[in-house]
Amino acid sequence: MIWDLNKIKSALPHREPFLFINEVIAIEGSEKIVAVKHIKGDEDYFRGHFPGKPIMPGVLIIEAMAQASVILYSVDRPHIAKAHPDYYLGKVKAEFLAPVLPGDRVVIESNKVKFLDNAAITDASATVNDQIVAKANLVFSIQLK
Amino acid sequence: MSNNIEEEITKMVSEILEVPVEQLNPDVDFFKDLDVDSLKAIEIVAAFEKMYRIIVPEEDIPKIHNLGQLVEYTKNKTS
Repeated sequence: MIWDLNKIKSALPHREPFLFINEVIAIEGSEKIVAVKHIKGDEDYFRGHFPGKPIMPGVLIIEAMAQASVILYSVDRPHIAKAHPDYYLGKVKAEFLAPVLPGDRVVIESNKVKFLDNAAITDASATVNDQIVAKANLVFSIQLK
Repeated sequence: MSNNIEEEITKMVSEILEVPVEQLNPDVDFFKDLDVDSLKAIEIVAAFEKMYRIIVPEEDIPKIHNLGQLVEYTKNKTS
């Protein structure tokens, strides 16, 4: 483990139950990050999505990819991250290839496409047992408060 | 070559901004006339970099306000 939860929380404004990164297991410069989200099965959203057939909502997989991307951005632009800006997801192009189920260990990889002081683009993927379950291109803005 | 660059860039910007090519003359201001915000701007920059395999330094971006300037920038960088 490269980043534990405390360090993750120093980079992300998100908190439980909306924190979708448990650990960061690899960072390659500021080009790529690999993070993990453990799906325990007792998450509240499984009660309704769906009763008797729990599946992680695709939008939350996107959220996990976005949070990994924000961490990568904070590594690339520590001077901006230090000011705790607001991160707004502006555009997503995503594909969902397989369901994420209770008990899954979701490995999220995010790659830098372009980072600026006020915006960023990443290509991300989510993998379970070496199978890609989702991939997305994310465009987000960064606004200092 | 010059016409190709102009056409390629106009088509790329048209697709990202969802504005018909006919409305994109070289002097139309991205920010004032087409409401380009930081998200659209970075999309254009990323598509441009991918298309021409050029890294655009962050300090160059505010200097490019319209298609004419973007075409000129491309010619300078690719010549």
